[in-house]
Amino acid sequence: MSFEPTDSAAAKAGNPSNPQRLPTALQADLAAAFPQLERGETRDGTTWLRVAMPQLIDLATWVKARGFVRFLDCTVVDEPSRADRFELNYLLYSMAEHCWLRIKTRSLGEAPSMTSLFAAADWYEREVFDLFGVCFVGHPNLRRILLPDDFEGPAPLRRDVPIGSEPVDFTVTRELYGT
Amino acid sequence: MSRQVSSSLPAANSTKAPLISNTLHINMGPQHPSTHGVLRLELELDGEVVVSCKPVIGYLHTGIEKTMEARNWMHAVPCTDRIDYLNPLGNNLAFALSVEALFACQIPERAQVGRVLLAELTRINSHLVWVGTGAMDLGALTIFFYCMREREGILDLFEELTGQRMMTSFIRPGGLADDMSPEWLTRCKLFVDSMPGYIDEYEALLSKNPIFLERMSGIGILRAGDAIALGVSGPLLRAAGIAHDVRKVHPYCGYENYTFDVPTSQTADCLGRYHVRIAEMRESVKICQQALRIMPSGPVRTSNRKVMPPPRSEFQHSMEALIHHFKLYTEGQRPPIGEAYVAVESPRGELGFYVVSDGSSKPVRIHERGPSFANLQAIELMCKGGLLADLVAVIASIDPIMGEVDR
Repeated sequence: MSFEPTDSAAAKAGNPSNPQRLPTALQADLAAAFPQLERGETRDGTTWLRVAMPQLIDLATWVKARGFVRFLDCTVVDEPSRADRFELNYLLYSMAEHCWLRIKTRSLGEAPSMTSLFAAADWYEREVFDLFGVCFVGHPNLRRILLPDDFEGPAPLRRDVPIGSEPVDFTVTRELYGT
Repeated sequence: MSRQVSSSLPAANSTKAPLISNTLHINMGPQHPSTHGVLRLELELDGEVVVSCKPVIGYLHTGIEKTMEARNWMHAVPCTDRIDYLNPLGNNLAFALSVEALFACQIPERAQVGRVLLAELTRINSHLVWVGTGAMDLGALTIFFYCMREREGILDLFEELTGQRMMTSFIRPGGLADDMSPEWLTRCKLFVDSMPGYIDEYEALLSKNPIFLERMSGIGILRAGDAIALGVSGPLLRAAGIAHDVRKVHPYCGYENYTFDVPTSQTADCLGRYHVRIAEMRESVKICQQALRIMPSGPVRTSNRKVMPPPRSEFQHSMEALIHHFKLYTEGQRPPIGEAYVAVESPRGELGFYVVSDGSSKPVRIHERGPSFANLQAIELMCKGGLLADLVAVIASIDPIMGEVDR
């Protein structure tokens, strides 16, 4: 299933104090350069673009050249029922146009790294690797970042992984109070 | 002597480094008092000079995003203020705005002004802790007690209004949890009006203190280009000369109706960040005063009963009110299918919750884009080539909250 609203009116409804529109000229250029692109708006008005994995770096390079130089966020929305279950979400920001842009792409568990384009992508991609188990090809230092180095088990933020817990050792307390 | 010791030690975390090296590898943290939490830095030192600095994070990772996703939308609110414990109301606000964007619901005027007031009080609170502990790291102990004194005043105000000093959970999707009483507003006004005098006191202690100036200026340089490339936001970005403030550029909660400046500094060093934060406190005081002046009367909850329960007074005569209350507290809110990300300016920079809903009462994804995570990534660049003794000032100037870095 998809998490996008089906009605276009709902897609346009959003926080009225936060009107985020791509500049019209940029929208036209984008349509000409990437005709296959899926696009829409999130409920707060940010434009999102969904691109096929092979074109991800091309699109990122293209938008970076047009002012989206600030890499703000990268995360995954996991949908286990789909084969390409990991939807990567990159959030970019243009300091000139003052608007956000969300780039999405669906992944089977591997994606090209953006670190050569955006220095800030380093830690964000490591976080996604750590918590979702998505590998970024070309990342210079793809190691765990938030979880302990000796962590065992499936990537914990995948939606088919239960929340889990760690048993607490009460041995000391038992000895102390004789219970 | 240290050279001899270092040559026999294997290089930390690296099997490829030669056995004999002229540099010393040490760990700073995660229990070091000046790392502001559980930050660990793997340092490579050449004498006193930092050759490389690798931050190791994750010691405070609690999987709070997973925790929020395993509960319903209402239960996520108390998790948000635990992420950044110096900015609880700001985090509540960021989450509330994102969920409200999903619902597309309108917030009453009084709640909007109240939110601005509370968010700015929280900003002053956070900057007070920053000034106090940051100067304490450099040995200026007195200022800490002055800052804690005023912070106590703010926490008392929070306690009176929300019932909690730090974990407030007061700004909720749909408005405020409760109304602000006239007595509270009066006390708030008393405090806010006295604040500029207190800020003068801090400045008298620090801004012309030759030791403080000498220690802070010219270290931890982060230029505008690097700051933008690394996704850095907040006072770090403004100290690099870029007047980017989400409150100005993308106003939320009616920030466009308030008169305030965005302080910047051109020095791009630790001292610049100090000046920016002190000036920001003064701007926050101005915003608080304006908010108290224009505080309208009226409800503090949205009339959309699918977002927030009706007031208790309606239960006496309205069956629908009871049903709404029951449905909300048994099933939780059900935001329409969609996704949203609304950014706010936290004391540390751009903060936003990326929320995804599938129409059910359980969120599909709640991801926090916290400013500390991105800002901390810049530390490697900021301390390279500097002195080890300056590193504590650089860490303090970033103002990382490890709860927000590790989540």
